[in-house]
Amino acid sequence: MDIWTKIFYAVISVVIATIYGLALGGVVRKIYARVHGRYGPPVWQPFIDIIKTHAKRVAVSHGIMFYLGPVFRFAGGLGTYLFIPVIFGSAVFANFSMAGDLLLVMYFIFFGQLGMALGAGEGGHPYSPLGIARGLSQMTTFEVPFALSVIALAIQYHTLNITAIVAAQQGSILNWTLFTNPFAVVAAMISMLGMNMHSPFSIVLAPQEIPIGPPIEMNSSFLATLQTNRGLFVAAKLILFMNLYFGGATNLVVMIVKTFLIYMFSVFVGAAFPRFRPEQAMRFFLKWPTIIGIISIIFVAYL
Amino acid sequence: MVNPIYIIILSLITGFLLSIFDKIGRKLSMTIFYGVLSFNLFVMAIWFYRLLVVDVTPLLINTAGFVAPISINLRMGLQEAFILLFSNFIALFAAIYLFKKFKKAKISSLVLYLILSMGVNGLVMTRDLFNIFVFLEIVSISTFALITLEKNLKSLSAGFKYMLAGGVVSTFFLLGVIFVYYFSGNLNLDFINTGTFNNLGMIAVFMMSLGIFIELKPFPANGWALDVYEATDSGIVSVIAVVNSAAIFYVFYKIMPMIPNNLLQLLGYAGLLTFVLSSLMGLKQENAKRLLGYSSIGQMGLLISAVVFTTNAPEFISILIVGGFLVNHLLAKAGLFWITGIVKKEKIADWGVLNHSKPLLILFGLLLFALASLPPFPGFWAKWEFIRWLIMEKMTVVAVLVLIGSLCEIAFLFRWFNLAVKKEDLQESQIETSHSMNLPVAFLAGVLAVIPVIIMKYFYQIDLIHLAPVIALIVIFIIEIIPSKIKGILSLITLGTYGYYLYPLLSGLQLFFAVIFIIGGGIILISTFNRKGLNQNFYGLLLMMILSLGNLLIAKGYLEFFLNWEFMTISSYLLFLRGKNARNSSFVYLIFSIAGAYLLMLGFAFAPAVSSDMVLLKSITQIQLPLVSIILMSLGFLIKSGSLGVHIWVPDAYAEAEDDVTALIAGILSKVGILGFFVLAVSAISHKPDIDIFYWIGWIGVLSTIIGAFLAVFQEDMKRLLAYSSMSQIGYIVASVAMLSHLGLVTALYLSFNHLLFKGLIFLAIAGVIYRTKTRNMYEMGGLIKKMPISYISVLIGIIAVSGVPPLSGFGSKWLLYSAFIEKGWYLQSGVLFFASAVSFLYLYRLIHSVFLGQLKYEHQNVKEAPIWFILPQLIFIIALMTISTFPNLIIQPLNAIVGNYIDSSIVIDGYKVTSSLGYWNGNQVMMVTMGVFMVPLLLLLLLIGKTQKVKQFNIVFAAERPESPQTTHVAHNMYAHYKKVLGGWGKPRILSFWNGVAEWTHSLGNLFRQFYTGNGQTYILHIILYMVVLYIILGV
Repeated sequence: MDIWTKIFYAVISVVIATIYGLALGGVVRKIYARVHGRYGPPVWQPFIDIIKTHAKRVAVSHGIMFYLGPVFRFAGGLGTYLFIPVIFGSAVFANFSMAGDLLLVMYFIFFGQLGMALGAGEGGHPYSPLGIARGLSQMTTFEVPFALSVIALAIQYHTLNITAIVAAQQGSILNWTLFTNPFAVVAAMISMLGMNMHSPFSIVLAPQEIPIGPPIEMNSSFLATLQTNRGLFVAAKLILFMNLYFGGATNLVVMIVKTFLIYMFSVFVGAAFPRFRPEQAMRFFLKWPTIIGIISIIFVAYL
Repeated sequence: MVNPIYIIILSLITGFLLSIFDKIGRKLSMTIFYGVLSFNLFVMAIWFYRLLVVDVTPLLINTAGFVAPISINLRMGLQEAFILLFSNFIALFAAIYLFKKFKKAKISSLVLYLILSMGVNGLVMTRDLFNIFVFLEIVSISTFALITLEKNLKSLSAGFKYMLAGGVVSTFFLLGVIFVYYFSGNLNLDFINTGTFNNLGMIAVFMMSLGIFIELKPFPANGWALDVYEATDSGIVSVIAVVNSAAIFYVFYKIMPMIPNNLLQLLGYAGLLTFVLSSLMGLKQENAKRLLGYSSIGQMGLLISAVVFTTNAPEFISILIVGGFLVNHLLAKAGLFWITGIVKKEKIADWGVLNHSKPLLILFGLLLFALASLPPFPGFWAKWEFIRWLIMEKMTVVAVLVLIGSLCEIAFLFRWFNLAVKKEDLQESQIETSHSMNLPVAFLAGVLAVIPVIIMKYFYQIDLIHLAPVIALIVIFIIEIIPSKIKGILSLITLGTYGYYLYPLLSGLQLFFAVIFIIGGGIILISTFNRKGLNQNFYGLLLMMILSLGNLLIAKGYLEFFLNWEFMTISSYLLFLRGKNARNSSFVYLIFSIAGAYLLMLGFAFAPAVSSDMVLLKSITQIQLPLVSIILMSLGFLIKSGSLGVHIWVPDAYAEAEDDVTALIAGILSKVGILGFFVLAVSAISHKPDIDIFYWIGWIGVLSTIIGAFLAVFQEDMKRLLAYSSMSQIGYIVASVAMLSHLGLVTALYLSFNHLLFKGLIFLAIAGVIYRTKTRNMYEMGGLIKKMPISYISVLIGIIAVSGVPPLSGFGSKWLLYSAFIEKGWYLQSGVLFFASAVSFLYLYRLIHSVFLGQLKYEHQNVKEAPIWFILPQLIFIIALMTISTFPNLIIQPLNAIVGNYIDSSIVIDGYKVTSSLGYWNGNQVMMVTMGVFMVPLLLLLLLIGKTQKVKQFNIVFAAERPESPQTTHVAHNMYAHYKKVLGGWGKPRILSFWNGVAEWTHSLGNLFRQFYTGNGQTYILHIILYMVVLYIILGV
């Protein structure tokens, strides 16, 4: 396949994922609103938000790194998405997964976070580093069960190639990691709660304490870029989880259904539980999910 | 050829006549006095030369015209000539040192001095037991008189104690001699056969030998000697400690054949005990001369144990061991005693005055290094052979005790050295000194410096390239007056030439490390061009360090390797010491490094022999190393690489070193432990050890990564932060090596190279920041991105490479790392590594944010970008990093080939794509995709907001209050306070407490033994008698 076709496919893939991710965001806002007893914004509100913020007349920048922060963030989302094969067996949605395996995806997630943290840092607002310090700290802790779960996968499937992992789960629903290695899935799903930063792990954006945290200084198109990324990035993470634990998807519909359901786990927990304090959140991840993660490794490696 | 009997005759005659000459004039008597001493030395020099080179037979002098045993005979063999050469040498130079004193003193002191010298000569040469007693008494009496030359309370009481002890001891000796005569009917050493003695005869021998032995000041029957050392004039005490001791030691050596073996062994252990305990007691000592006293006693103990335990050794070895220790002790101790007389400071804490006289300080250092048995001085070779011999004879405990004693000795000596170098007190008056006092010291140091060349050339035939580090040091020292930049350029040229010389000798692994050591060192060296003025004592040490690192790669056999290892330790210690507040940190570094070196030495001693014409790095991989050897060497390497448990030297040493030096240490020196590990691992792959020791080393490495990372998170000082980061990163490397798999070894090398690039880069950028802001505390900075953009970019690229975020080379290392660990089956370990890798984001963000982002401080409004000399090497590193990130096969391919020499490759490299058994990684594609996805939003943003509105500092969305100052707006201090809560009790510094405890207990133990020395002469006598009784009981005769 020549490079231009590849890029063309990638563009299609990215656009679809972004639209899906943003729409998902709208649905979730609606759900939260109903839980809170409100009517809630329309499902297309995220799209309106993006257009609106882009349309601001003034764009305040605090410096070059500030300017590049959202760029890094969006590039991180794009890259993470593009290194994941989205739909099993589809050339259009295979993206650039031939460049690297699961480890690449796991580390590319940091690309955007790091860049954004730097950009927000240059903004000079104290809430930014506070939010970032919380976010990075929490990240170190939920990475542990997730990493253990990934190691368990690597032991189970003898590969870190995402496509191969999906391939190994084909055939029957019982081939899903969910059923072949439930401990790994439990550990990973709990750490996903931290990744998605819904309550009780919403310590980074924590509106009542450090109003919206890191992106506080972001405005106009900077903010719009971040909002766009939020859609794509959520989609990317959900697709990764789907691929690793829930048998992947062979077509777009299956993908949408599965990722939606996966996301609902975060949403239900988020709607039901209040926020932790930072140290409570971190201690939580280092206890039960970590133990479950270790069990998952023992389960596949030694039993 | 002058008959040595004339020494005695001439000394005796002039001794009597001197007071008559003195009536004519002091000049005449002085001339005669020095003339006689010079004559003695001259005679001995000739004899030594003839016996050694011309190889004449030893001379037996029969007095009174009769052959022994009818008359007393003297012997002049090589050993006697050797001892007397040095004794007379010291005697003459001590006299020169005392020139001013002698000029004013009563003539009797000159006479006494001559008599003392004569006594010593006689003591060494005579073969008659009773004659020994006579000379012993002559020496004792004249010594006593010389001690009390200065009439103050201290010296009088010390002299009195000396007399008491000497009296008791010689009584025993005489009794012993009498009974020996009774049983053998003979007094001549060559005719007494103690083998035929009955029990009573043995008691006689016991008394006689103990008499001599106690003269050698064994613990605890040596309180009298300590008081003498402390109270006597420096010139005189040097004679007592050195000349007298040497002579009496030789007497002990002479009667050794008479001593039954069980007693001899006991005395050997007693000597060892003395060495260990006096080194221990020295730790608490604050008085300079008493400190040297402890050292003297210890050295004599060491000498005794050396001579006793090497009786069966081949002559070559025993000469090197006993001779080496002896010469080392004689020369270094005399010189140091003389310096105490010049400095005139009792307390070692006041020795900062030495800074007023740099040449003297350097001499002091030189002698101290010699005394500490560091290379290239004679003691080093002696210790090396001694330990090897002991291990070969299965006397492991003795070897370990010798090393523990040596370590304590180094501790107290270098505590003193650090105080002298670092405690500057400029209010103090200048040091008053004269040429007659300085010259002897300088001359001694000169002799000490020449001996190693002789040893290396004649005893070992070591290639003189291994002296290159020292030569570089000396040459730079000589040209010290030229400006720093020129010296820097010369150093760079030297490195280039050295690299050119080395290149044809190297291949594979050696070449890889040569690149790190020499090219890496050269690049970082550029940053030192920023130094202004003369910048003394810097480039020499720098070159010494890098050259010794390079020499490690071509060292053949254990000794050459160890020699360069020690050179590396010394030079890096001295480089650390240059830091402004580096007194304690460099000391801790030295102690840990020396301990590591000793472990290495023991490890080598246990290892089987290797071929001497193959480079050690290769030959050691071809032998089966015993387990104990692997463990000991590993411990040594763990210390050097600052792994968990022995890491506590790391943060302070890194932080307090000069900033460009830190870059060098982190970039290249930290790799030397890895080199060691790598070779051990390769050896273990083909020759499996009995226990899988590397599994545990792997865990140590893994735990180092996580604990190092957490320690880094909570630092406020950015150099400490980076130091802990290095500990963490080196932990990855150690763990990778320990896997003993192909991928593991490739990972280790890849990580090492990467670590050089990013740590060199970050440390240099940080050095520039510190240079401009004059602080290391991150919270005192902030917002520097606008003032120092290039430094910011360096740190940015550096931290991306550290963290492992794609597309930079750091990701390559992470990919290799996890692939290797999972492939090996070390699952839990890789989980911990994931955690550590995530934690590293915390400290990396803290570093870059606190320094460069956030709010700029008012005082930094006018800060400029770092100087070009800091920027230049950073650019080189950035280019290198970007190149290997984009074209990873440039590095992966050669590493795969290097490791392929030892173990079959487990990865497939196809173009830029690397495939392992688990996954794949195409660094080039990752780079391209990243560039692409980065450009998309960037172009979009540029399109949407071409022009942004610039705002001033503090123009931020701050609800309901106005930010007041950068200090209150910049989040930096205690940034991860919440994480401390998370860790709770896990965050306590347990390892530091442990080592503090070790230090505390060691000092207390030393202090405990010091309680023996009450200062009461009667108690001392009791000690002596009890000592004999106890030994007698132990012996169970």
